[in-house]
Amino acid sequence: MTGPSDAELIAAVLGGDIESFAGLVRRHQDACARFAVRMLGSRVDADDVLQSAFMRAFRALRGCKDPEHFGGWLYQIVVNECRTYASRQRRREQRFPTSSAAIEGAVAPGSDEDVDVDVGGHIGRALSTLPSEQREAFLLKHVEEMSYEEMAELTGVSVSALKMRVKRACDTMRGLLDGVYHG
Amino acid sequence: MGENFEAQNRADDDAFAERIAAPLRVPEHAHRSFEKRVMDRVRAEGAALYPARDSATQSWWRTKRVIRLSPLAGLALAAGITGIVAFSSIAIESRIGARGQPVVSAAQPVAASDTVQLVRFVFVDARASSVELVGDFNEWTRGSTALRLSGAPGVWAASVPLSPGKHEYAFIVNGTRWVADPLAVKTSDDFGTESSVIRVSTPGKTET
Repeated sequence: MTGPSDAELIAAVLGGDIESFAGLVRRHQDACARFAVRMLGSRVDADDVLQSAFMRAFRALRGCKDPEHFGGWLYQIVVNECRTYASRQRRREQRFPTSSAAIEGAVAPGSDEDVDVDVGGHIGRALSTLPSEQREAFLLKHVEEMSYEEMAELTGVSVSALKMRVKRACDTMRGLLDGVYHG
Repeated sequence: MGENFEAQNRADDDAFAERIAAPLRVPEHAHRSFEKRVMDRVRAEGAALYPARDSATQSWWRTKRVIRLSPLAGLALAAGITGIVAFSSIAIESRIGARGQPVVSAAQPVAASDTVQLVRFVFVDARASSVELVGDFNEWTRGSTALRLSGAPGVWAASVPLSPGKHEYAFIVNGTRWVADPLAVKTSDDFGTESSVIRVSTPGKTET
């Protein structure tokens, strides 16, 4: 690392050098972007959520008890912001399809050629049909590749409950993608 | 039999999860305007949340001087500098301003070197409990170049042999606060963090 650590940047911000926060934004924005985009299914929504998360982090910077692990603390805020956002979306019932027909239509495979070029799209759409808590657990486990213990610490949910959520998410995804992935 | 069946199911689940997760692991990048938009909001709120420390109480200041040295044959510095130096005494005249703000001035030292110059870094902060120097010359390694209290209270100093050319550096105060030299040319790394630049002249010239 050729620049100051997260702790040094945080100390600078707390000392009044708020421009140092830009270093934290640059260092962590992409790491948080993947989870937010996958969780919300939209880069525009993810951008909104990430802005809110970074601003929450900025305002609460004095509460970051372990500045050397700012990234983990920020990630927790991002996960919470995504939950709040997803919850609002669910209440509005505007984003995710709710009927079986809509789900099946969303992920119905096309030709083999289509599978090759759009396999990520099918998976993304199948992911978006999961309940948000299952989607969150699946992403943290299999995309962010966290251990269940890390997930439990991050989310405040028990390991056994997280395992159940991941299992259910996989079962649902397997059913939806059976025509795409024969496995 | 039942255990084997469950184990096979778990393996199938893991294999399936891996197949569908792999494309989702493709990195995502925040929009190129993201940092600017966040920082616009930070600037709008930041002054009230984290007011800058009062300059009279913050009271830090530093200066640097380049001292040319004479070579000492047969020795080499551990840092790989081929010449080693003998140096004359360094005089610092230091006085504390009427309002408690340190003022430091440096006398001109004098010794010559063919290959390196000894650069003395001085940092003044009456409240500092430790001051370190990091730069490209010590690979930005924490703990490798500590400044020591020297002369008047709050005056921290270290002399570092530098080869001619451009060097980047910064101070770390109390182990956490990154401070670039306000009096020197600035440069920024990939994260936008400012450091300072010193240009060490070839022997016979002095520049900072």
